[in-house]
Amino acid sequence: MRRPLRGMRRSSRPARRHRFLPAAVLASVLALSSCSAGGATRAADTGDLTMQFEGPPVSLDPAKAGNGGSTTFVSLAYDPLIYLSGDGRLVPDLATSWGFAGDSNTVFDLRLRDGVTFSDGAPLTARAVVASMRYFLHAGGGLVGNVGHIAKVEALGPMKVRVTFADPNPEAPMAMTQYNGMGNIIGPKGLAHPASLLTASDGTGQYVYDGQDSIAGNRYVYRRNDHYFRPSAQQFDTVSIKVIGDPNAVLAAAKTGQVQYANGSANTVDAARAAGLRINTAPFYNWALNLVDRTGKVSPPLADSRVRHAIALAFDRSTIAHGLAGAYASASDQIMLPGTDGYKASLGYRHNVARAKRLLAQAGYPHGFRLTVLTQSIIDPNTNYSQAIAAALGDIGIDVTLRVESTGIAQFTGDALSKQYAATIFPNVGASMQATDLQIMSGVFNPFGSSDKELNSLLARAAAQTDAGARTDLYQQASRRLQQLAWFVPVFATKNISYSSPDLEHVTSSVVNPNPVPVGPTAAYSWRLK
Amino acid sequence: MLRLIANRIAMSIPLLLLVSLIVFALEALVPGDAAQTILGQNATPASVAALSKQLGLTEPWFERYGHWLAGAVHGDLGTSIINGVDVTSSLATRTGVTLSLLVPGLLLSAVVGIALGFAAAVRGGLLGRFIDLVTLLGFALPGFWIALIMVIVFAVRLGWLPATGYQPLTEDPLGWLRSIVLPVIALSLNGITAVAKQTRDAVLDVLEADYVRFLRANGVSSRSLHYRHVLRNAAIPVVTSLGLIAVGMLTGAVFIENVFVLPGLGSLATQATLDHDVPLILGVGVVLTLAVILVNFLIDIAYGFLNPKVRVS
Repeated sequence: MRRPLRGMRRSSRPARRHRFLPAAVLASVLALSSCSAGGATRAADTGDLTMQFEGPPVSLDPAKAGNGGSTTFVSLAYDPLIYLSGDGRLVPDLATSWGFAGDSNTVFDLRLRDGVTFSDGAPLTARAVVASMRYFLHAGGGLVGNVGHIAKVEALGPMKVRVTFADPNPEAPMAMTQYNGMGNIIGPKGLAHPASLLTASDGTGQYVYDGQDSIAGNRYVYRRNDHYFRPSAQQFDTVSIKVIGDPNAVLAAAKTGQVQYANGSANTVDAARAAGLRINTAPFYNWALNLVDRTGKVSPPLADSRVRHAIALAFDRSTIAHGLAGAYASASDQIMLPGTDGYKASLGYRHNVARAKRLLAQAGYPHGFRLTVLTQSIIDPNTNYSQAIAAALGDIGIDVTLRVESTGIAQFTGDALSKQYAATIFPNVGASMQATDLQIMSGVFNPFGSSDKELNSLLARAAAQTDAGARTDLYQQASRRLQQLAWFVPVFATKNISYSSPDLEHVTSSVVNPNPVPVGPTAAYSWRLK
Repeated sequence: MLRLIANRIAMSIPLLLLVSLIVFALEALVPGDAAQTILGQNATPASVAALSKQLGLTEPWFERYGHWLAGAVHGDLGTSIINGVDVTSSLATRTGVTLSLLVPGLLLSAVVGIALGFAAAVRGGLLGRFIDLVTLLGFALPGFWIALIMVIVFAVRLGWLPATGYQPLTEDPLGWLRSIVLPVIALSLNGITAVAKQTRDAVLDVLEADYVRFLRANGVSSRSLHYRHVLRNAAIPVVTSLGLIAVGMLTGAVFIENVFVLPGLGSLATQATLDHDVPLILGVGVVLTLAVILVNFLIDIAYGFLNPKVRVS
């Protein structure tokens, strides 16, 4: 009998079958899942709030931070001088009263709240507020353009601050709210070391940023500030913001209770509603085709106002809005949205393709022309909005090529400012004509630096006007003038959609404030869980 | 072995330099910069220019790269332009998360893939065809899509596992395990199919070899033949594919981390690139390059273990 070679053995018994493996795997999964019972609602049970935001904050330094939904990152730790509530009211916060001195709308006084301290232990004083405001004005942040032209900031006494504007600014109270940076007051210790504000907060807010427990770009954790001036307004032990960009991941996190508040989208809103989440909406983005090359340097036809008006007449706005986002978008035919100061129902572009073609023919373009339009796929996912706008222009013979920037808003901004594009697709936002004007006359909305004397005159008169009714009338005249110029062609407005847990109370939003924050100066304004 | 290690270290230095230089150059070609990111779309060119100067972005590229390199050789990778966080500590936190995906993912790919591929080759018949079909499906279905489906089923519908998020192993071992189950499965599915296919083909090749016939004729048991001879000889191409899969998983992690909102290197790389946060981008580039070098090094060692000829050479 031959022996097997060394190292080789004959088979002595059948190979053992691992019958238990699938059962073991299943048991492990069940064990894991049972250990998680209640995990989804843990935050609610312990008085913690977890929110979602689609990206990291622009900066955690209030002077360099962003606004819109990103405001929450700052608002949790820094109180504003004046609080803008979800329903659009101005509410005393660090300032207990305010008003213009004289009748020029240039000298604005604020009286500060007594007994407030920063998280660094320093008391809130006029000197501290002035130092914070001065830092904001020179820090190089992106919101500095939103507060108007400020000539001087000074302390008039231990608890009184005066802000003097170089030009009349009737929107000064709005400039001091949480959305415009300057009103979010930073403590002296933080101001002494501005770099420290990126990893630790120094405000008077309800919460203190915990840089140790946070992971930049993924999770931002805020813990209750024991020195907050009104503890009854603090509703949570901890507030966390999770950065989740993918809309499906956002929906899953909201449905499973991992977050109690999340930004929504028109694509997932029906599923969110079906899952029992509360849907909050408010008009927000006014999507427009911005005809920025008004002198025809890049695209000569756009220098002719007849061409710009023809473009404005090309859109069947209601159909486009409904087709793109159903109930979550509406037609927009003027620069201001209904409910904001400057909107006038009788104004607005109509849909008239025949007239648009006649205007093009009169301008010397009976067969249309080619136009490259810069857009982006960051807040216009899949460029659906841009494609709808391009298709409508095709109806009047304008052959649009979309140049899509898909890497980021910063890249889009860089392209838009390069003066290589005659038109862009990007939304504007603004609760008043003055705020909108500050936006649309600068940056990506006006890279070629256009200005109009009549428009400037109307806005200057409105700014100096102390009577609110007369100011509204002037704002509406400015809306009419913008329509005559046809520099901006609004098409539709999309709503800001958010999902909140049915247990989360006091979440309100409006056209004036479509991005509410979870903290407020009293319990009535702070969000809370049932 | 020592010579191999010395060779690999010697090769890694120019490679790291080259990669960091290429990453730096590519970043410079992308429109916009960190100042634009910080100031937003309404910034005036003057304010962007002022902040660019403040951040040192107006210096010539070679000076900026030189500053970074001078710090890097002393172990200082700088701080993030956007959030001021130390790059090294950011990378340390994020690398742990990505390793929590890659290591179990690679193990799962290897164990399940080899088992499936081996069974398909040895058993053949219906089982073999079934495994072939499953592996084909695994190739066809993208990992991120499977991830979304798994979230819907196991997190939203059944509520067994969390939909998003990560728990550090040191803080909550069970929470860590729960947080990585779905991402690891999603990440490793393509790897499992690739390894299974590779194993099946390699095992079939070896089974046809003369020496296998000779061993079988000598009465060697199937078990000994398969596990001690066939599998070992078939392992070399499988190890090669595991190396490629490991490198591929680094890219796959970008998608998986985004779906499951995990604070790993993939999501860090994406955000840093969008923000033009050069120190972070370079830091991620260095870590990923080191990871690729390490994987190749481990593969070389595995070759040596599996094939004595390689050891001698």
